[in-house]
Amino acid sequence: MRSPSPVRLKETWVLCFILGIIMLNYPFLEIFNKPVTLFGIPLLVLYLTFGWLFSIFVIFLFSRYLGSVSAESDNHSGDAE
Amino acid sequence: MISIQLITVLSIAYFVILFGVAYYADWCREHGRSLIANAHVYSLSIAVYCTSWTFYGSVGRAATSGIDFLLIYLGPTLMAFSWWFLLRKMVRVSKEQNIVSIGDFISSRYGKSAFLGAIVTIFAVIGIMPYIALQLKAISQSFDLLTLPPEVFRQGGTHHFQAISQTIDTAFVVALLLGLFGVLFGARHLDASERHEGLVAAIALESIIKVIAFVAVGIFVTYGLFDGFGDIFSRFQETFPERAYLLQIGGENTSYARWFSLTFIAMMACMFLPRQFHIMVIENSSEEHVKSAMWRFPLYMFVINLFVIPIALGGLILSNGDTSQADYFVLNLPLTNNQEWLGVLAFLGGFSASAGMVMVSSVALATMILNQLAMPAILKFRLEVADFSILLINLKRFCILGVIFLGYLYYRIIGESYALVNIGLISFIAATQFAPSLIGGLYWRRATLKGAATGLILGFLIWFYTLLIPSFVRSGWLHSDILENGLFGLSYLRPLELFGLSGFDIWTHSLFWTLFFNVGAFLTLSLMSEPEKQVLEQVPKFVDTFKPRRAEPEKQRISKAPTIMEFVELMTKFIGEKQAHAAIAEYLGDREIDQRGSLSEYELPSLKRFTERTLAGSVGAAPARIIIENYLVTRGSKMEDVFDIFGSVNLSRTSSREQLGVLYESARVVASGAKLQRIMDDILDLMVQQFKLDLCVIRMHDPSTDNLVVHSQRGMSSEHLGRSERELTMETYIGQTFLSNEPVVVNDTDFMSKPISAQIIHREGIKSFAHAPITIEGEPIGVLSAFSKTIKGIFTDEFVEMFLSLAGQVGVAWRNNQQTIKLLVAAEQQKEMEIAKTIQLGLLPNSVPKLPDVHLGGICVPAKDVGGDYYDHMMSSAHQLDLVVADVSGHNVGAALLMAETRTYIRARAHKIPTAKQVMASLNEFFYADLSRAELFITMFYARYNANLKRLVYASAGHCKPILYRHATKSCERLDAEGLIFGILPQVEFEERHTYLYPGDLLLLFTDGIVEAENDLGEFFGEERLARLVCDSVSLSPQEMIDRILNQARLFTGTRHFKDDVSLVVMKAEAKN
Repeated sequence: MRSPSPVRLKETWVLCFILGIIMLNYPFLEIFNKPVTLFGIPLLVLYLTFGWLFSIFVIFLFSRYLGSVSAESDNHSGDAE
Repeated sequence: MISIQLITVLSIAYFVILFGVAYYADWCREHGRSLIANAHVYSLSIAVYCTSWTFYGSVGRAATSGIDFLLIYLGPTLMAFSWWFLLRKMVRVSKEQNIVSIGDFISSRYGKSAFLGAIVTIFAVIGIMPYIALQLKAISQSFDLLTLPPEVFRQGGTHHFQAISQTIDTAFVVALLLGLFGVLFGARHLDASERHEGLVAAIALESIIKVIAFVAVGIFVTYGLFDGFGDIFSRFQETFPERAYLLQIGGENTSYARWFSLTFIAMMACMFLPRQFHIMVIENSSEEHVKSAMWRFPLYMFVINLFVIPIALGGLILSNGDTSQADYFVLNLPLTNNQEWLGVLAFLGGFSASAGMVMVSSVALATMILNQLAMPAILKFRLEVADFSILLINLKRFCILGVIFLGYLYYRIIGESYALVNIGLISFIAATQFAPSLIGGLYWRRATLKGAATGLILGFLIWFYTLLIPSFVRSGWLHSDILENGLFGLSYLRPLELFGLSGFDIWTHSLFWTLFFNVGAFLTLSLMSEPEKQVLEQVPKFVDTFKPRRAEPEKQRISKAPTIMEFVELMTKFIGEKQAHAAIAEYLGDREIDQRGSLSEYELPSLKRFTERTLAGSVGAAPARIIIENYLVTRGSKMEDVFDIFGSVNLSRTSSREQLGVLYESARVVASGAKLQRIMDDILDLMVQQFKLDLCVIRMHDPSTDNLVVHSQRGMSSEHLGRSERELTMETYIGQTFLSNEPVVVNDTDFMSKPISAQIIHREGIKSFAHAPITIEGEPIGVLSAFSKTIKGIFTDEFVEMFLSLAGQVGVAWRNNQQTIKLLVAAEQQKEMEIAKTIQLGLLPNSVPKLPDVHLGGICVPAKDVGGDYYDHMMSSAHQLDLVVADVSGHNVGAALLMAETRTYIRARAHKIPTAKQVMASLNEFFYADLSRAELFITMFYARYNANLKRLVYASAGHCKPILYRHATKSCERLDAEGLIFGILPQVEFEERHTYLYPGDLLLLFTDGIVEAENDLGEFFGEERLARLVCDSVSLSPQEMIDRILNQARLFTGTRHFKDDVSLVVMKAEAKN
């Protein structure tokens, strides 16, 4: 994995942050705001639950990546995972 | 129902365990280990965010208004995206500045303003009051619920029946208990760094308990009472089709505007609630922990919320749609289904959630009240307290209790009229008010104190008016008139429709107006006003945290500075002896301490800052600043700006430009070619004017007396400092400067080690002075001194460097002057030599005697201006010609003088002496004394030619043998006569010989300068060559022959000048034709 510059990293995260806000607000939510159920569970509940889980997963990947970045800068090995 | 005793015992047992954990964590910390310094504990402790609002309130809100309860947790999840940048920055700043609370943070950012700190604190306390009330309500109600028969509880709740007794309010007891725990966990002893490892450990444990309890209940409801998620949802939809809105957005309760507002509020609150700030920022032990907390904390919230909807819907189904007790479904569902132990677990979970929040909040708020309100007041009124540390810890304990009882008060007034979640949201919007000045302060340099303070005040006034007033009205504490008709009957001032803005829910409405005024005032005033000086100082510490910063040179010094021990005593007063000593030991660590056991002048301001920072860790930044200032004022010391030598502020780049300017000016003075005295005066004038010095002196070393003699003095007149000479001794600073060839600086004349100097300095009222050696090629020749009567500490390192350069300039001027004098002397000598040369040339014969048949020619070419060669020809009688060639050893003035003397003697006496050898003998006799005294010699050839007899009589005193060309044989012979050179013996017999000159014969007299003319190869011109030359050019006239000989000799040597004087005399007997 190539390591992007800190600026690019930051910008990527500002983008994710903004995307997150958009996907949790009107009008995006209207897509799922329907009286439809999936396996008996309303679509909106499912969307919010899995959307939430997904964003946690994204942050998890980010923190893993931060870990590898700081490890890299610690030992200057230059070999990324 | 469960017995009160059992619940009480269980609760107490639970708390004993919590306290044990806390105590163990504190114990570990004291022994150098940390239980909490890991990402797991950090993440769990942040989960203090999940209070009884989460534990009970979420279910209640899900059951009544639907899915928007999730936003309180989705918001923080979104916010976690920014943590690596925002939270880490806050942590870094707080660690560097020793910040102890959010009030301290904001106040520090805006110039450690005590005023701003007080505003933030007051608002935080008022803002958090409802939140603490919420926790008290939850615990007391859940306690009652657990211990009272359900039907009793349902009938009237807490007001009619109290579980503990009829007269004592359960909430009061709970408040008391929580207060006690707050004191135990948060204020057992005073801590310099305001970190509470025990508290954090307990919070982390509570977070585990509450998530286990909630998930247990959730699993019981979902899989025990129902058949999984799908079952609950489908049964709910069957039973309450009219309540489908609960699972959708856009209904009456969940507009999109509200959806956005709640998300935003939650995002801000999870960062800026005082307790969140405390746990996330102040209690953080490593920035690395932020990294994993970014996903662990959202995951925790996800897990704890997973079962909220099932429990809410299940509760609705099982209670036939009754929402009056929806807040307590978590507790009720196990209880009504005979799962009493699960109920107890749920109670403990809820209890954990509430207690954790109350403890952290009360500790965080108590710290703020103490630091931002109490301390400034104590300091302002100058209360005399022997030991502040005891006062402080007791005040802190009192504040913890005070905060909790404010919450209790609010609960008594409002408690019954709002659901849990709604009470909490009031606090969330209050915390949101801190966001503009805090985030703005971290990223925006122009943010000013005025902007921040005005924004906060306006935000909170609107918050109070739009949220707190309605809550008072709803509780019946205020008349509802204000809601309906507005303040003073002005309809546009209706709290829920401020300025006519209607159609929004209470939260969106309040959020909009508070932020509108808060952010508006913050931005506008910041743009309109210049950042205050003390704010500017703080800006880089907050905005440029992650940029490497250069250590600024010390710009201030402390007059009458306190000693290290005095600083320690000051700290002891506030943080206790042990902490103070530990702190100073850490600070001094590797610093150099001078002989007097004190730090150098320029370390002291740094020690002062350290003391301030250490105190800030205990009492907050603003009080620490006031404490130090008061302390210095009481001592009569004060911070003085280090006299700014270069007339500019702050920028060392600018100062070096100024420095260049002064050096340029002095170099210009030196190069101006003015007299030395003028140059020295001008340089001193420059120093006196530019640096506001009172006296500048230049002393130069006088080798004859070995004293330093004053050469120039500018500024005040002082007999002792400026005029008198100084002996070279190490007993004075000036002597030391000269002898050691090193500058000596005394920045504070109160501390001097040389009594002789000290006496004079004190008599003249000098505050600081410096001496710099004036050197030529590294060797000291004098001392440049500067004295200031007004300013201590004027001689910074930067200035001393400059001062040395100026001393160097004086040295250059001095050397220039010395060289000029030498040049003048040389020119003078040259002039004299020119005169001597002219005179000497005048001594040589300027006309040729007229003799029949004989032609004469002669020349003398001195090697230098004057020489020791001499030739002459004179008529000693009518038919008798005398010829002389002499060479005085050496070719300097002495030789020239002797040559002149010789000529005088010969001219005066020779013609009276009958023979050549007698002339020689008398010359030797006459010159012997002079020559031997001067250690000089003379060689001479003397010839007397009788024109009638054509006879040449000659004598020689060791002179080169002249060349005689015989026309008849066309060959050269040499004229030789025995004779010792003059100056060896007083009496010398000279041999006299004679020969005849025939027509065509030629005689050449010469000095050794011509035969010893040397070429590059070291060969002499030689007599052979000369003789050949004579033979070859015998046809020429005497003068032409002389010119030819000289030319040939010059060609031979390759230079125009001879090394020795050259004299040639040619006498030619006319050939008979």
